[in-house]
Amino acid sequence: MTEQAMRPQFMGARVKRVEDPRLLTGQARYVDDIEVPGMLEVAFVRSPHAAAKILSMDLEAARHAPGVRAVWTFEDCPVMLWQRDTYEVGQPVLAHDEVRYVGEPIVAIIAENRYLAEDAAELVTIRYETKTPVLDMVDAIAESPRRVHPEAQNVFFHKVYASKGFDEAFNAAEHHLSETFRTTRQTAVTLEPRCTAAMLDPASGRMTIYASTQSPHRVRSDMCELLGWDENQIRVIVPEVGGGFGMKANTYPEDIIVVSAAQKLRKPVKWVSDRTESLLSDVHARDDIHEAEVAFNSDGKIVGFRDHLMADGGAYPAYPFSGAVGETSLASRVLTGPYDIPYIATTIDCTYSNKTPLGAYRGVWGPIASFVQEGLIDRVARALGKDPADIRRINMIRPDQFPYRNSAGMVYDQGSYGESMEEALKLVDYKEFRRRQDTLRHEGRYVGIGISVFVEPTAMASSEAGSVGYESVFIRIEPTGKVTAAFGLGPTGQGHETTMAQLIADQVGVNFEDVVILHGDTDSAPFGGGTGGSRSGPIGGGAALVAGREMRARLVKLAAHLLEAGEEDIELGAGKAWVAGVPDRAMTIKELAEVAYTHVKRIPEGLPIGLELVARYQPKRAVSFSNGTHIAEVEVDVLSGLIRVLNYVVVNDCGRLINPMIVEGQIQGGVAQGIGSAFLESLRYDEHGQLVTTSLMDYLLPEATEVPRITTRHLVTPSEGEGGIKGMGEGSLIGAPAALVNAVSDALAPFGAMVRQLPVLPNDVLDWVNA
Amino acid sequence: MKPGAFEYRKATTVKDAVAWLHSDLNSKILAGGQSLVPVMNFRLAHPSLLVDINEIAALHQITFNADTVTLGALVRHQEMAESTEVRDRLPLLAVTARHIGHWAIRNRGTLGGSLAHADPASEWPAVMVALEAQIQVEGPDGARTIPASEFYLGYYTTELAADEIVTAVTISRTRHRLGFAEVARRPGDFALAGSIVEDFGDGQGSVTWFGVAGKPERVVLALPEEESARARSFQSALGKLSQLDDDRHRQQLAVTVAERAFQHSRLTGHEYLTFEGGQV
Repeated sequence: MTEQAMRPQFMGARVKRVEDPRLLTGQARYVDDIEVPGMLEVAFVRSPHAAAKILSMDLEAARHAPGVRAVWTFEDCPVMLWQRDTYEVGQPVLAHDEVRYVGEPIVAIIAENRYLAEDAAELVTIRYETKTPVLDMVDAIAESPRRVHPEAQNVFFHKVYASKGFDEAFNAAEHHLSETFRTTRQTAVTLEPRCTAAMLDPASGRMTIYASTQSPHRVRSDMCELLGWDENQIRVIVPEVGGGFGMKANTYPEDIIVVSAAQKLRKPVKWVSDRTESLLSDVHARDDIHEAEVAFNSDGKIVGFRDHLMADGGAYPAYPFSGAVGETSLASRVLTGPYDIPYIATTIDCTYSNKTPLGAYRGVWGPIASFVQEGLIDRVARALGKDPADIRRINMIRPDQFPYRNSAGMVYDQGSYGESMEEALKLVDYKEFRRRQDTLRHEGRYVGIGISVFVEPTAMASSEAGSVGYESVFIRIEPTGKVTAAFGLGPTGQGHETTMAQLIADQVGVNFEDVVILHGDTDSAPFGGGTGGSRSGPIGGGAALVAGREMRARLVKLAAHLLEAGEEDIELGAGKAWVAGVPDRAMTIKELAEVAYTHVKRIPEGLPIGLELVARYQPKRAVSFSNGTHIAEVEVDVLSGLIRVLNYVVVNDCGRLINPMIVEGQIQGGVAQGIGSAFLESLRYDEHGQLVTTSLMDYLLPEATEVPRITTRHLVTPSEGEGGIKGMGEGSLIGAPAALVNAVSDALAPFGAMVRQLPVLPNDVLDWVNA
Repeated sequence: MKPGAFEYRKATTVKDAVAWLHSDLNSKILAGGQSLVPVMNFRLAHPSLLVDINEIAALHQITFNADTVTLGALVRHQEMAESTEVRDRLPLLAVTARHIGHWAIRNRGTLGGSLAHADPASEWPAVMVALEAQIQVEGPDGARTIPASEFYLGYYTTELAADEIVTAVTISRTRHRLGFAEVARRPGDFALAGSIVEDFGDGQGSVTWFGVAGKPERVVLALPEEESARARSFQSALGKLSQLDDDRHRQQLAVTVAERAFQHSRLTGHEYLTFEGGQV
């Protein structure tokens, strides 16, 4: 790398997002904006029962309803999600013999518009014989009251791990305490719901699929695998996506129906989920129980964690990955977080139930594991009568321990764990807070502070974006000297058109405005994994750096030849190449491009015609850890049970920053979602397995009024990968819930409260206060 | 989440609206639509006819008289919050309006719609019961006036017949201090509990709750100076409600909001919470 490229002009700058003008003025185009003459729309008849045999279906009235083109059952689209051997069960895209969760699609009505489709859906009569629903996770693991799938055990994933010498060390510790931690079902609730449109090109016979997804190429692969298409016969276009958060990393039954209907009816077909469908049928997440135990000594040193991790995976494993497995297996490996806890023993049980399948939601395992880990740390502090910050100091992984192999075998690269906490404590003026807390308690006001130090595994070789451990960039300098680069990423609001352009502009030596980033079209983008698991910055960004550098080398060779100078003397920047120290001997990149494309006889031997190439980047490390500390100050109204966040501080380390403004935006959003997790959001099923939170009046999201001003500071511990970049899409939501609920526990310490269940509701507070 | 088909008619007089309602027993009035349209979209309601009353000019009026004020059924919540006349002369109503939903909801939702919908957690029914308002309705047999205290029967049920329309509410001027308090999960949510307290100034007063029972009821009670005695008084007033919810902690919340409403009425510099000319 030349010295110049090491002094980047755009990387690290607060460049305004190029996406925002179209988003903020309503000009962005989403799947629902795709209107094609003759387009049909789909409505689904969904199961009203958690568990029932289907005795009969009467579809005649619906078939004859106005505007109805087709009424489909499983026989019309006999596709199973999961035909592989991974799990013993697969989900039929339309339930045919039995329904296994409320909201499961049974009949697809394809009509001239959504109104008529919903009218016809009301005319479908289905007779059911209800069965006892399997709703309790602990019972289900014990095969009670019955199996969800007669052919398969309820426990579909079971894993046991213990570090060597665990029992002896754990038992020898001076103190033990245990707690059962319970997270609650949540879902992503994207602004733009799930939606898919598909249409055949009658001339070529190719299928175009408009998808709201995080992984364009994976959608293409899934369609090929499930519907028998060839990959070159399918084009997946991902227009603007209004949020994904892991929930749009799956392929769903509705997607298969839409594509299949477009094929068989030879008409454009679209389905756009409504909010109730979203809450019923988007993958759920976070339905976990941790029966945890910690062994520690009187000095505060923690010896080991033991944890039985349980997750309710819902009726089927989501396709193509089960969130229950993701939440538990990674939690079991990073449960010790930033702490040097030498022993761990974990047992994982993931079970089926008569609920919506569990998938990914931002942070996946992280918010759960941090809640458990930071909850245990605070319990140790309270048990020993020590300051929670001190217990963290005693156990924190020290800088000299990197690279650090944790007791579950995960290797952490360099981080700033202790430093991030000390910086955050300074920002909140921790000692002063404790004084204020004491004073206020005497006035009957209960404020509390919660610390959450987190690690965030990013840029992993496999994630919800699949086991594609690399990303690809197709980069081209146009004949006019402008730069176009296409990615296989699937941004859902992260601002890749800005960040990737920053990285490429620096490397190629052009202005930021001269770079256009393309994504979301499998016909133009090189094969890639997509966006998920905080991989787009470090892996996609790494690929951008490699592609830009290779293009730069091409330009330098060309310029050196044309300017009759040595390659080592060529400098690039602001759209020009010049000979070092002789700024007059210069050519614009436009002039170089003219040679490359037009006056090709001037191209030196060994260089190809044109200026385009594909570059790929796969990090050497299987994972790179970001880290940070969140500190929340809350006030609990002990008369109403309401909780208000007074102050919030984040010290974040995601290696080298591409764009601090975008990083801070990610943090703001994650903290907001953390407030939802801690105090508001809960998908509740009643005793019959009915989801009772099917609108946003019942499923409460954080609003602007709940989100405090957030103070953010950045620490920079570069990764060993390209650009020193680490991922950071999830850390804020990993850290936030633990900080918030620990603050509640701290505020209500006079009542002996310790939060063990998410979310904390007003009645929970009043229970503690009145106990 | 699309409604089923329905017929739509726009009325310009109350008489027309009532006649149309009477002609089709599966008809509904469309005012602000903030409750009706969602339940139609959920297909929980299938009205065959929607009678849009938004263009009946007479229902939009706010009229101040010497000793009463009459509020038209189509007065929007946001108008109540923003009207300088209401803020000057009926400030409790402006305070209340700001607690209803969000700006977009307040901008469409109407007083009459809220009163007729009778959600037990909503503000207007309780305020009107607390202020002993008179609700004017009109049906095929003409107009009648129902005291707010008799208008509400229970959860989402009122004295209003299927072919009657709420046209206006009349409130008499009162001379007492008033206070309002509400506890909700998030600003704009329906209340977990809310209360209007009136302090007669002689150790007596009234309390009216919302969100804690099937319907709002005004209870006259003692308002002792000592806080714990007041709490006991609120507690015993709760016992007089005919449809009290049994949610755990709900009674404690009710006492909490009543006390906060009382404190609200006592705030110095907040004389604005009394009616015009009211001096304690």
